Amino acid sequence: MKKRGRGIACMWYPIGFTVSANPSAATVKVNEDGTATVLTGTVETGQGSLTVLAQIAAEALGIATDDVHVVSADTDTTPMDTGAIASRTTYVTGNAIWLAAEAAKAILFETAAPMLGVKVSQLEAKDRKIQVKNFPQRNVSIGEVAYRSQVVLGHPAIGSASWNPPTVAMDPETGQGKPFATYVYATQIAEVDVDDETGEVEVLRIAAAHDCGTAINPMLVEGQVEGGISMGLGMALQEEMLFDANGRLINPNLTNYIMPTSLDMPELHVDIVQGFDPTGPFGAKGVGEPTAVPTAAAILNAIHDAVGVRVTALPATAEKVLAAIKAKRAAEQPKQIPA
Amino acid sequence: MNEHSRILEREKVDIAETLREADLRLPAVLPRESYPIEPVTPDARQQTRAIGQRATRADGRLHGLGQTKYIDDLSFPGMLYARIKRAGIASARIKRIDTSAAEAMPGVMAVLTGKEIPVNSFGPSFQDQPVLVDDLVFHAGDGVAAVAAVTEQIANEALEKIVVEYEPLPAVFDPIEAMRDDAHKVHAPNSNIYATKVIRKGDVDKGFAESDHIFEGRFSTQMIEHVSLEPHAAIADWDANGRLTAYATIGRITLARSDMARTLKLPMSRIRIVGTVVGGNFGGKNEITQEPALALLSKKAGRPVKGVFTRGEEFTSTTTRHPIVMDYKTGVTKNGRILARQIRLVLDGGAYCSWSETTLGKACILSPGPYKIDNVLAEAFVVYTNKTMTGAMRGFGAPQVCFAYESHMDDIATALKMDPLEIRLLNAFDEGSPSPTGQVLHSVVVKETLRKAADRFGWEPRS
Repeated sequence: MKKRGRGIACMWYPIGFTVSANPSAATVKVNEDGTATVLTGTVETGQGSLTVLAQIAAEALGIATDDVHVVSADTDTTPMDTGAIASRTTYVTGNAIWLAAEAAKAILFETAAPMLGVKVSQLEAKDRKIQVKNFPQRNVSIGEVAYRSQVVLGHPAIGSASWNPPTVAMDPETGQGKPFATYVYATQIAEVDVDDETGEVEVLRIAAAHDCGTAINPMLVEGQVEGGISMGLGMALQEEMLFDANGRLINPNLTNYIMPTSLDMPELHVDIVQGFDPTGPFGAKGVGEPTAVPTAAAILNAIHDAVGVRVTALPATAEKVLAAIKAKRAAEQPKQIPA
Repeated sequence: MNEHSRILEREKVDIAETLREADLRLPAVLPRESYPIEPVTPDARQQTRAIGQRATRADGRLHGLGQTKYIDDLSFPGMLYARIKRAGIASARIKRIDTSAAEAMPGVMAVLTGKEIPVNSFGPSFQDQPVLVDDLVFHAGDGVAAVAAVTEQIANEALEKIVVEYEPLPAVFDPIEAMRDDAHKVHAPNSNIYATKVIRKGDVDKGFAESDHIFEGRFSTQMIEHVSLEPHAAIADWDANGRLTAYATIGRITLARSDMARTLKLPMSRIRIVGTVVGGNFGGKNEITQEPALALLSKKAGRPVKGVFTRGEEFTSTTTRHPIVMDYKTGVTKNGRILARQIRLVLDGGAYCSWSETTLGKACILSPGPYKIDNVLAEAFVVYTNKTMTGAMRGFGAPQVCFAYESHMDDIATALKMDPLEIRLLNAFDEGSPSPTGQVLHSVVVKETLRKAADRFGWEPRS
């Protein structure tokens, strides 16, 4: 018979490397027409980071995402970057790009201030214009300013910057220290059906609430959460590399190493818990890795809720769940004393 | 008809029709068709308040049209294909390697063994991993020789002709067993325990003494592969000035360049790494694998060399997720407040360190969970075994310890007849809570995520 259960799991996860330096550097070049080019040494590994980085540069310059082209991942042309690791791209590379864009913008403001007859401190960049704060009628297009900077004044609007998250080394005896600049938090709740005759587990739905500071691109955050849950699902129920007695892998193929497919995916309800981290670019932290963290724990707690057995060794395959159910039943049977 | 379907209509190509009409004396090709270069630009990408926009990805369109170029789509004139011979034995001494038959094969342009690599070791924390093994095999997926040939088929056949004689050595596969003094030492004379981490806060003995209940549990996890759609792949090419360009599917080009400079003994200024679009990383492509071998094969053959791992090699010869054995002991008040938690983690580090030291640190720091606990003792060890190396994978040990601390949490809730949500809200971090390492936390929203998820799920306490 199928038994239904629910399980909850929350987590915390740091952004960036443990204590050690993991800097990013970036260059932002504003073109003569007011569009921009970003140079970064990070790599697009499928998560959409280059789009998020373009959004950060665009926001700083007051232009649109589409106005920004990102050049990445070439040691000959792009500045150093610690890379697409440790959920650090939005936070660390994002901060570097933000600072570089601010440096380029400062050059534009220097050019624009006499054009508008105000001080630099009175200017803001918004809607592809450089305008006077609280008096937006006095404005000039970014393209016009960038052209004047570069072609007339000979001072092209190019900014470079680097950023490294501040940490404090950990004491080797006690581990006390500030290993990371910031952390994100999340909760996932799973609902499962467990067949108590076969041990088979079906995950019906998962509600996932994730913190990433400011969600620079909510659609890409949701994409990360959905992908992370599929990895967590595989860890919970299916995936396992198995070795023979001589240390040779017996399932190095996708026939015998079973990953979840789209058919195994439950109904997903993703919520972004909006927060703001003053140390991140426009309040953003990160989201890549943590999405895969609480899924397995939530599913295993749901199995426990459904059939009352605690599987303590992952993955909770049907065989393992059934064995645990049988062991529980055997333990509950009244002891038969032989006649 | 909207813009989207107009574009689909314009790009429609009847392949069967094309093949029928094609002159069969020539290779069948699709008709000339200009690229649909006007981008579909949904509004979100045009907004000048860029933050918070659901902007589509600039590369999404290229993926959709099949225009994204991965390593396997790249080709250079005269390019060769490399394959690596794998040991297939977990622990052994190499007595003899004979590559002469492979070298004599028509179409084989270069053969490489570990002895020819200038500095045959790399790794982000400890440089304990050879590009191709020298004398000792540490796990079954180790590479023992590499071949570059004009086709992949010839390279595969050449691997069969390489003769390797092994002297089997003792091996150890279980991490707990590997910690014993009498266990086989994977990297003798060094201890199998190659890194440790301790977090000590407050006084756990005092905390346990003050607790109403003490709970204990052991949890363990399995070895997992990233299984990126795109396997590890790279192309190495030299110019006549002795400058190397490596195209690689890798998440960290800056580290890749310094690893290449070290292994090849080249100044960094003579190496260019181009990171191509990565078809899935998840931590598995954070360091070099075959790139130095491809570079040396290319140098020997005087031709560009491409190497693409098979799916099997992805499992046997690249990093994986750490199996961890996790012992938890927690003291709570009768109301469910956690007073003390003691944790011991043993990470199966596999044959090489890779990102194990980082994983060890993160797992240890995160292992008490997002909870206010005054007394914590967490000790973590990572040990060598003669298995596929473990390394970075999405979460660096966090999914494993989360499985343990959250399973443990529910066991405590069940025993105390508390609602799982309630016990978490009671213990979870607040803004300004100190972490187990004494860090004052900011932007803490763990309770908000608990409430939000519970609300969305429709979580009601059961009587």
